[in-house]
Amino acid sequence: MSDAPGEELRTNLLVLGAGPGGYSAAFRAADLGLDVVLVERSPQLGGVCLNIGCIPSKALLHAARVIEEASEMAERGISFGKPDIDITRLRDWKNQVVGRLTNGLSTMAKQRKLRVVHGVGRFVSPHELAVEHDGGRSTVAFEQCVIAAGSEPVVLPGLPDDSRVLDSTDALELEALPESLLVIGGGIIGLEMATVYDALGVEVSVVELTKTLIPACDRDLIRPLQKRLEARYEAIMLGTRVTGVTTGDDGLIVRFEGEQAPAAPRRYDRVLVAVGRRANGDLIGADAAGVEVSERGLIRVDRQMRTNVPHIFAIGDIVGEPMLAHKASHEGKVAAEVAAGEKSYFDARVIPSVAYTDPEVAWVGVTEQQAKSENVAFVKGTFPWSASGRSLSLGRSDGFTKLLFDKDSRRLIGAGIVGINAGDLIAEVALAIEMGSDAADIGLTVHPHPTLSETVAFAAEAVEGTITDLYLPKPRSGG
Amino acid sequence: MEVVVPDLGDFSDVEVVEVLVGVGDTVAKEDSLIVLETDKASLEVPATHAGQVTELKVSVGDQVSSGDVILLLDAAETAEPAEPREAPAAEVSAAPAGDAIGDTAPPPESAAPRATERVDVLVPDLGDFSDVEVVEVLVKVGDAIQAEAPLIVLETDKASMEVPSTHAGTISAIDVAVGDRVSGGDRVLELEAAAAPERLKAPESAPGSRVSAEQKPAAGRSPQPRSQIARQTAPVDEHGFRQAHASPSVRKLARELGVDLGAVTGSGVKGRVTADDVKAFVKQIMLSDGRGMALPAVPEVDFASFGPIETRPLTRIQKISGPRLQASWLNLPHVTQHDVADITELEEARQELKERAAERNLRLTPLAFVVRVCVRALEEFPLFRSSLSPDGESLIVKNYFHIGFAADTPNGLVVPVIKDADQLDIFGIAQALGALSEKARSGRLSPKDIQGAVFTISSLGGIGGTFFTPIVNAPEVAILGVSRSQMQPVYEGGVFVPRLMLPLSLSYDHRVIDGALAVRFTTRLGQLLGRGRELTEGAR
Repeated sequence: MSDAPGEELRTNLLVLGAGPGGYSAAFRAADLGLDVVLVERSPQLGGVCLNIGCIPSKALLHAARVIEEASEMAERGISFGKPDIDITRLRDWKNQVVGRLTNGLSTMAKQRKLRVVHGVGRFVSPHELAVEHDGGRSTVAFEQCVIAAGSEPVVLPGLPDDSRVLDSTDALELEALPESLLVIGGGIIGLEMATVYDALGVEVSVVELTKTLIPACDRDLIRPLQKRLEARYEAIMLGTRVTGVTTGDDGLIVRFEGEQAPAAPRRYDRVLVAVGRRANGDLIGADAAGVEVSERGLIRVDRQMRTNVPHIFAIGDIVGEPMLAHKASHEGKVAAEVAAGEKSYFDARVIPSVAYTDPEVAWVGVTEQQAKSENVAFVKGTFPWSASGRSLSLGRSDGFTKLLFDKDSRRLIGAGIVGINAGDLIAEVALAIEMGSDAADIGLTVHPHPTLSETVAFAAEAVEGTITDLYLPKPRSGG
Repeated sequence: MEVVVPDLGDFSDVEVVEVLVGVGDTVAKEDSLIVLETDKASLEVPATHAGQVTELKVSVGDQVSSGDVILLLDAAETAEPAEPREAPAAEVSAAPAGDAIGDTAPPPESAAPRATERVDVLVPDLGDFSDVEVVEVLVKVGDAIQAEAPLIVLETDKASMEVPSTHAGTISAIDVAVGDRVSGGDRVLELEAAAAPERLKAPESAPGSRVSAEQKPAAGRSPQPRSQIARQTAPVDEHGFRQAHASPSVRKLARELGVDLGAVTGSGVKGRVTADDVKAFVKQIMLSDGRGMALPAVPEVDFASFGPIETRPLTRIQKISGPRLQASWLNLPHVTQHDVADITELEEARQELKERAAERNLRLTPLAFVVRVCVRALEEFPLFRSSLSPDGESLIVKNYFHIGFAADTPNGLVVPVIKDADQLDIFGIAQALGALSEKARSGRLSPKDIQGAVFTISSLGGIGGTFFTPIVNAPEVAILGVSRSQMQPVYEGGVFVPRLMLPLSLSYDHRVIDGALAVRFTTRLGQLLGRGRELTEGAR
């Protein structure tokens, strides 16, 4: 139900923002018997993730994958010819996927008798939120509140205001296929979009300020990805900054500076800015509610997702990294349960991260570089996918699975996987960490053959010394 | 006087996120001064002394370590009651409680009543509950109590909670009694408030009662039902919690119960903490609750308030047997098997032998026959003369046949023992029974007379009753209860015939004896008792 402007609503629990965190909080709270009002600025529920993030990008990445695999099969005896891409129909299909999910959310909201108010919300007091609609303004008085107002793409200062300078939302719109695209930012979002545009035949370049792609994960995991990208992309410029973009009739002229900067400025049809996301803490009138917001738009919370104002919770991107939907939805449930009087805590030990590039890169828990810098004693087991029958029969030999175990307790503390479907494989490892599994537990669990999931068991066996699918020289005794 | 940062354990350079006092503020001992926050937890630093703040040495954003000076205090000789202050949101430390829904109202003002002001203490807002039963009244008229002292205990089907006093003072009237049903706002009692009221701490987890004279209950604040556990558990050590080898569902359970997982020893493989470990941890804490007993206490009742009473000391025997009976009753999983035995023929045989017995100055009671029958059955069923070894790993079967029999004496219950009953004929048994009973009644039993039994018989047949459930004389594993025999119609060959039936009640330790074996034993007893004449064979 949508409420008319000017109305004054009262509720047990107000949820501000209907992304994965917000709707999870709202639905869980409703299921626990609270009366809930959900405020969302856009006409659809689902937030960035469903509408302009995870889901549409995955639809396009699937399309990219099909194109890639079809072309790879040419060498193996099946030739489809050059793909004929109807960008309009591709976009429509992507929008259908999104529509189906957001409609599903609306239906579930109705089934739970949630009141949904569309408009931009700002606090006016610790117990009231004003919502600006097209048609006016209404007020929601609440006993408790969950702030789930998310984040927005960071805007680089100094770039021209030009329709050819895109952010991730624009890039997913897929208005037209340019001939060339520069992606500023070699993080997950930038590389996923690069993957899509590359597969659609666009000449892609990537420029990254730091010396590495996806700095948060281990270097060895990035190598297979980087190798593949370097072979396909026009350029990958690491340790390089964009110093200026000027508009021209036939494109955007970009100047670079840094280690791998080209000497002369380069021309691109489009520039995609994907340099990170900024929390929306400054946009919600938090002051009026007494909620403290840090200089980066973040709101600090405790393990029960409470802000400094005890009856106001905050979850998801707005409370900080990692800005991931699956983190937000779990936090949302904790906040809802605490609001309903339950003694819930966010006690997850690990949150997996996935880059849906080709190959995919996924990691969870302690990374190797982190273990080394924090002096955590660990043992490592790796299994190269070049020894996996399933990987080879999928036409791929790039990728590996790496597990890190605490040296004393032998419990799994972290893992990284690079290869196709790594994002799906990481879930087993996350479960193993949460359950406190050790190498024997994983290695002795019978994994189906032939699957990519076997590589997790093999990496554990490598640590146990029980592996037969590889030959590893015996470690010297005493080691 | 300097107030310093206490020992922070593994942490140093911890950020000050909140300063709760200002220069000139008067603080009481234990008042929170500043809030520190690590990436693991936040904690409040309390005042070590009462006094007035003369200088602040830290501000928000500073990094402090153990021993750093927080502020200077002009220490007061006696703590002045400080202005009440809104307690900062306890973040991690509020773990077991979790604030109540809509908990936005500031804590109640300290309603500083002057000397001997009368104060009503009310039932706090109970949230969704009303008509909640008073299960305990912890105070009585005339008691001098402190603020926060528990007054009454309320119990819903969900939880029990104590209602604390809002003030210190002397109780002048109590309005509720056990069994009454109360709702938020009802008066619990009236207090002559002390001249210098105890400073009211902002309630963190306890329901705050209110002062009716000055304050109407603030809307939205509902008390947090406080379980026994919440009272016991210390704040959770988040670092330890994160290290514990426990699955997500066990962590969730621990959070619900307010258990610090880091303090729980895991019983699972590789030290894994199971849900049962968490529950056992809670149980152990509850059992160590100040009452000193490992069991929930039976409520004390002031009987004199209902009528005249007299007090009689327990006899020496009662003092000894009481704890033993309780130990057996608590430690052994008891099952009682009932049966009836046809002793018509046995009774005829007994009557026939009575005269011969009388010639020897013996009373040939039915019990003598029961002892003889039990010896026969024990010969056939060795488990009934066994005991569990102390480590519970094996059974010790005793190949002797000393039979105890419970004897009612003016001083209480005693169990004399007939030694080597398998060596005695029916007259020998009767003679031993008579001699031991006489010694028991006259209080002349020697220690060896009451030791060494492998099996006990408790006969109430001389008094009456049908069946009962005797308590096993542990570490024996079984006891036979015998009630009064009665003529009963027994359906036999198409007609009811009168038979003399003896009720038997066999209690046994189910760890050693299973139900089938127990029935076989009682059935065998019935068969042996039914062939009463055989029992007299060999009697000279």
